[in-house]
Amino acid sequence: MAAVNSIFRSLSEFIDQLSAIHRMLPWLLAFGMLLPLPQILAAVFNDYYVYLANRICIFIMLSVGLNIVKGFCGQVTVGHVGLYAIGAVSAALISLHLGWSFWIAFPIGILVAGLAGVIVGLPSVRLEGAYLALATLGLGESVRIMIAVTPAFGSSTGLLSIPPPTIGSFTFDSFEKYYYLVMPAAMIGIYMSFSILRSATGRAFMAVREDTIAAAVHGINVVKHKLLAFVISALYAGAAGGLFAHMPPGYIHHNNFTIIEMVTLLMMVVLGGIGHIWGGIIGAIVVTVIYDQTLEFYFYQPLLFGLSMVLIVMFMPRGIGGLIDRYLVTRKFIAVQEEKADAAS
Amino acid sequence: MIKINKNYLAGALAGVLVAGMAMGAMAAEIRIGITMRMVSENGQKYGQMVMDEFDMINKSGGINGNMIKATLMNDECKSDKGVANSVKLINQQKVHLLIGSSCSSVTLPIVDITAKAGVPHLVPHSTNSKITKKGSAWVFRVPVSGRYYAGVNAKYVGENVGKKIAYLCAADAASQNDCEAMQKQMKSQHGADPAYVAQVQEKEVDFRTHMQKIKTAGVDGIMIAALAETMARALIQSYEAGIPASVRRIGSSSASNSPVPNIAGDAAKGVFFAAAYAAADTRPVARLFNEMVKQRYGIPAPDHDFSQAYDLVRIAEIALGNAKLKLDSGSLAADRTAIRDAIANVKNYNGLGSGPISFCAAPTPQCRDGNRTAVLIAYKKGGKNYVTEVLARVTMPADFGL
Repeated sequence: MAAVNSIFRSLSEFIDQLSAIHRMLPWLLAFGMLLPLPQILAAVFNDYYVYLANRICIFIMLSVGLNIVKGFCGQVTVGHVGLYAIGAVSAALISLHLGWSFWIAFPIGILVAGLAGVIVGLPSVRLEGAYLALATLGLGESVRIMIAVTPAFGSSTGLLSIPPPTIGSFTFDSFEKYYYLVMPAAMIGIYMSFSILRSATGRAFMAVREDTIAAAVHGINVVKHKLLAFVISALYAGAAGGLFAHMPPGYIHHNNFTIIEMVTLLMMVVLGGIGHIWGGIIGAIVVTVIYDQTLEFYFYQPLLFGLSMVLIVMFMPRGIGGLIDRYLVTRKFIAVQEEKADAAS
Repeated sequence: MIKINKNYLAGALAGVLVAGMAMGAMAAEIRIGITMRMVSENGQKYGQMVMDEFDMINKSGGINGNMIKATLMNDECKSDKGVANSVKLINQQKVHLLIGSSCSSVTLPIVDITAKAGVPHLVPHSTNSKITKKGSAWVFRVPVSGRYYAGVNAKYVGENVGKKIAYLCAADAASQNDCEAMQKQMKSQHGADPAYVAQVQEKEVDFRTHMQKIKTAGVDGIMIAALAETMARALIQSYEAGIPASVRRIGSSSASNSPVPNIAGDAAKGVFFAAAYAAADTRPVARLFNEMVKQRYGIPAPDHDFSQAYDLVRIAEIALGNAKLKLDSGSLAADRTAIRDAIANVKNYNGLGSGPISFCAAPTPQCRDGNRTAVLIAYKKGGKNYVTEVLARVTMPADFGL
């Protein structure tokens, strides 16, 4: 334990030193460290793990986005997967029918999802808690049903042969190449999330989460911030959807956006820790890996996941992020005590 | 103290070594990956039957002395899960042959994965005609393609039922494909436009409004294209709405699944559909198969998804037996190519299917939709002990519906 503490402390100090030079340096270092990951995974394991890494990056974007509206702003939404679907279908349709490049289709998909975020967020103006959850659930499921019954959106056959992104003659047509698209996107998503959390908007979100009346009394426009949280969260979902649609083999189907996917996403956020950015990331990694490792026990998989959710909520309500928080607070407390003791001696 | 003769000891050690090497040589295994929809009761039984059949092959000495190692995974009929399974089976398990999936919407993206990785791919149940239209050199379809079913159904309906047909189309890939193809064939064969068309949810439970509208439209027949449970509910509600038995009920290919007569009961009587296998088939091979399925899985009259899964194993067995496999650490790509070529050389396989199954080398639907014979089946009696009869057996030209 002492060794772990020491490693954590050294790492923390090293990051602090880097941040002191330039706040982007730790991010650039992390980016540099993640660059050779596909080659390492392919060499040590196989291409399947590169595919998993790509999926994890997409899930990270989704869970980090969901954390903004649910964790930061305290709005209970169960319709996030609908926004993910909107982003995916919009980007795919633009590429397939208009023949536009991914680099145009992708941002348009994000914007369309953002607009849809306003619609999903509107009930939050009047509803709270379970009622808001029900309203967003209905909206999310309506999106899936709309896709399922509309031939133009792929209907039952799905959208096939969605072209992979290209830059000149370079095509992101393998899992390894696609990693260099989803990994930076996830990194940017995480960085933006931290930036939002530390900004006045982020603090306003948290004020709304803690007490809407108190927030309003302090001059925070509650309606605006609730809607803004939904829109930002939708932008994340739209980006994740666009990346999912264009990832080889370039196929999406309405079955990819069911309530089960939403529950899995919630599981990531709850396991990681609601309101913790790192929690969402850890949750996305842990849930994806656990899911993968239990693939062959398919009879018991839903039971395992359901039971885990119940146990986490019962015994670890603040998730892994909560545990990390507790560790950090304890470490700070010990450091302060040590400083006091040193000063006294 | 027991004295051990050095010569005996050396002999014994050599024996152990030779036996070990022989075991090592025998340990070469043919790896087969399977991804199927293991969520419904029947889905689990199809998958289990494939595993059981490979196990039987192993118990009878394997294929040319090589054992089969089959890995079965559940894709829940979801494309992302199917893609993940196939990527895992291909890259991690290094399978020589991939089997999957039960659902067309899952098989469609897997075709791209197997084509890119160069892995022979046998399709057990998916009927969507787009699967073989993708032009993959690695895919082979054992079931009858949706494009053939539609032709057979439309011919029979136009000649024996009438031309005023209502369509209820569920939102799953196979049903949509069956519904669209049937409408297209009715138009091209008989010049008949649909009298009524409605899209319904994959797991819709209430069809009463549609049934009332269909009743007032005075149609000759209703085509219900849906998965088994949904179709059964729609059939019951068609009678509840007062649509007489004289208005024939036409099922899509999933009408052959046992939940349809089990759930629909008397409402299943008279429903006819095109399928790849009739449990009423009187051939000895079919009777033996029916008995085996009844004993092992408790299904009295197996549907065509059972027969297709069984035929697929037999085709795989023939192809693996004919392929010249090295099965060493460096021969994976060559072995995969050899299996693909061996499947392409399967000609006139006569199994449980309604007609012979043949493949060829060209990556075209004509070559890769192996079974072109659909059998037209009607339920004579519904319920648990349902009874079927064969109305017709039709072999379609290879390029029909393209």
